[in-house]
Amino acid sequence: MSNSKIPLVDTDIHERVQYQEILEYLDEPFKHYIQNCHWMQEKHMPYTQPSVAGVDRADAVVPDGSPAGSDLAFMQEQLLDDIGHEFGILTSALDPSPSSMHGWHEMATALATAYNDWQIENWLEKDERLYGSVHIAAQDRDGAIKEIERVGSHPKMVQILLPIDDIMWGDPYYHPIFEAAEKHHLMIGMHHNEPPVYYGKWPRYFIEWHTLISTAHMKQVTNLIFNGVFDKFPNLGLMMIEGGYTWIPHLMWKMDQQYRDLRHEVPWLKRKPSDIFKNQIRVTTQPAEELTKKEFMSLIDQMGTDEILCFSTDYPHWDYDSPTRALPNLDPELKNKIYSENAKAFYPKLPNE
Amino acid sequence: MREQVVCKTTDLKPGDMKSSYFGKQNVLICRTLDGEFYAFLNQCTHQGAPLDKGMICGATTHTSTPGDYHYCRKGEIIRCPWHGREFDIKDDGRMLANPTKKLPSFKVRTEHDDVIIYK
Repeated sequence: MSNSKIPLVDTDIHERVQYQEILEYLDEPFKHYIQNCHWMQEKHMPYTQPSVAGVDRADAVVPDGSPAGSDLAFMQEQLLDDIGHEFGILTSALDPSPSSMHGWHEMATALATAYNDWQIENWLEKDERLYGSVHIAAQDRDGAIKEIERVGSHPKMVQILLPIDDIMWGDPYYHPIFEAAEKHHLMIGMHHNEPPVYYGKWPRYFIEWHTLISTAHMKQVTNLIFNGVFDKFPNLGLMMIEGGYTWIPHLMWKMDQQYRDLRHEVPWLKRKPSDIFKNQIRVTTQPAEELTKKEFMSLIDQMGTDEILCFSTDYPHWDYDSPTRALPNLDPELKNKIYSENAKAFYPKLPNE
Repeated sequence: MREQVVCKTTDLKPGDMKSSYFGKQNVLICRTLDGEFYAFLNQCTHQGAPLDKGMICGATTHTSTPGDYHYCRKGEIIRCPWHGREFDIKDDGRMLANPTKKLPSFKVRTEHDDVIIYK
């Protein structure tokens, strides 16, 4: 699409596994449940997604007809080589995706193990630009920690994925997951699941759901900050993936105001919420609201730092953001931060020379 | 370049579209259900997606009321393959949600079985 090579760190790329591919990595009896009982992860979305090819870019379907995101060679051709990616962080698709499963913890935990092995063998070890996310079934906390211990030290795993769904991860019960993350120099990546937005249900229209995704992100950020996760784990970082970014100043102001009035309730907070945000939380840009340069710079000014935003494409999904078109034309120093340096500074295991 | 054959009339059935080149410009040739040909720059005005990878379809119209869809104009609307933006082929490529934006268009005529873009 473009010949201008941006040395990009793309913080949200959705690789996709197909059920038949994951079988060889899956233990019994879970392999049997897929192979012979035709188990599929539950599906919820009641809409035909209002774009041309469902959840995907219509031009990202693999030429042999396989689903978008399922073929490394085509992803290399259409995305990594064409744009000129320096690094890309894989965040998986929804089906099957152990990190976003409801119920049947045993299947979710087995699937996480299989998924991680499939990801490492077929993506991380086949393209030096690609880095990965550790999948866990975090609802089974202790099983999740075992999986982090098993693959967390892989040199190309940079974060642990937690779904934004119906569990608020700041609850102290889940803190051992953050402890394991810190131990392995892994950050936490949070991506929304279906359907966290509308009181746990789907709204009448997809456009409502998609408009309000950021509210689900705001809930998790608020929850983790006020539950003291970032003071308890000072080396932990949180990447909020695919919620856009214009909500950031609002939430900073709101949390700081509440903290001034209500600090008594959360005495474990040692810093202003906005300072915690600036130090330990990063936000991917997609789906980017269309702002003018003036509007964009005003927003950065309101955040009080230009080190929060990290560019993401969300390839191969329908609301993909083009690295050359989605954001206004920024000055080189800021552009370099948002497209590359902020993510490199955030992920300890990403090369940063 | 003043004019160029960009495809054959038989290359496109009514309701289809395809990409071609007018000089160095990648263009989108569309054929509406009444058999007419139209041509636009093959690039979405939003983020530059290749429109030929999208679809030609109809539109849910402004005459729809809450809870009651009115769908018509079949074969007259281009939808972008990425974000689904809609462009009206018969209204000079104007975007449905924002008619101040439109796809750059080209003049088209047919001679025998040639589809020709001209200036």
